[in-house]
Amino acid sequence: MATEPLTKEQMKSAVLSDAVTIPSPGEFFSAMDDQGQPNWTQLYAPKSAGTTASREQMALMLGVLVADGYIAVEAQDGQGVKNTGKDIINLAKKLNVSQSVISRGNSINDFAENNDWSALREELEATQNEVKLSMAEQKDKDLVILVTIGAWIRGTQVASDFIAKNYSPGLAGLLRQPAIVEYLLDELGKLPDRMQKQPLVAEVEQKLRDILNLVHTKDRKPPAPEAVKDVSATMDSLVNDIAKGNKEQ
Amino acid sequence: MKTLGILFLTACILTAQETPDSRERTTSRSKVLELAGAFANDGYKIRDGYWSGVLEPGKPQVLEVNLFSGNAYWFCAAAVAPARKLSVTLFDENGRPVEGEIFQDGSTAAAGLLPDASGRYFVRLELVEGDKADFCLVYSYK
Repeated sequence: MATEPLTKEQMKSAVLSDAVTIPSPGEFFSAMDDQGQPNWTQLYAPKSAGTTASREQMALMLGVLVADGYIAVEAQDGQGVKNTGKDIINLAKKLNVSQSVISRGNSINDFAENNDWSALREELEATQNEVKLSMAEQKDKDLVILVTIGAWIRGTQVASDFIAKNYSPGLAGLLRQPAIVEYLLDELGKLPDRMQKQPLVAEVEQKLRDILNLVHTKDRKPPAPEAVKDVSATMDSLVNDIAKGNKEQ
Repeated sequence: MKTLGILFLTACILTAQETPDSRERTTSRSKVLELAGAFANDGYKIRDGYWSGVLEPGKPQVLEVNLFSGNAYWFCAAAVAPARKLSVTLFDENGRPVEGEIFQDGSTAAAGLLPDASGRYFVRLELVEGDKADFCLVYSYK
């Protein structure tokens, strides 16, 4: 018997979960590998976290660093993975995450030492999830989505920059992620007012809205070359603002 | 695989400390990781995140996911007794069923897909035989 399509009600009430609905940066990069074979060594240009007292900015930066870790893994740069892992743990400590997260840093070092790239991909995601769990346990639940957003922004920045310079419909199709952007915007909308009003968080929200217009194409068509360039420019400025620190709060 | 080993060890520790409900969920997670591990041998990377809950007869659950063209995926699910038979079905962003590979073995099931377009998809998990039980779903990609 043929399978019946889902009803509109079933699709509308589908479960959305940060842990499984949002692809990991590694998943995004794996698809890029298949479509365009990027030179990851050239693309690995890690960001350093600027000084800031804002926990929201630190959470966004933590996500950026996680994505950088995946890029280092794609580049098979063991020292790069270790450095990024150290940055992740240092920033996580400032957010008072649990000891279990800190011990992940040792695992990242061990796997990097052994060039175990597959285990590193899993460990990076596990570290990110453990940071989020620790945040939730410490009543910092609102910061969790910012880590996810930071990682998504950094992954999209690197991908869109590469795609803008090496445009093909197949590669550009990878940027067509309106459902993800809508989900992230919905989650941002649930943050407390004081957080939403912070300049950096407000900037993230505005730029995600701009991105939604660029990647929400009809009939599953890939974004056009000009749209990809606009995505790249928007993501560039956002990543720079997250990393520069001292953003007025 | 080292990470899986750590997960199993963690599962054992949690089993010793937690309530019967969470113990069942841990068991369904262990079961599903065992199934997903078979695909890992074929180069699939297992996502660390998972979806878990309670499945009841006649009340399928639907999860929204975002997939990339160029990747191959397996969605694996497992439930504990009294669940006896599960099914996993994949749908595109318009809710139409998509063709792919299917695996079914009692209270474990999986569906594989090579998406022809990037974007939103849906995973439907259904209890075909048996009674209300905890389930866990993970996915892997390559």
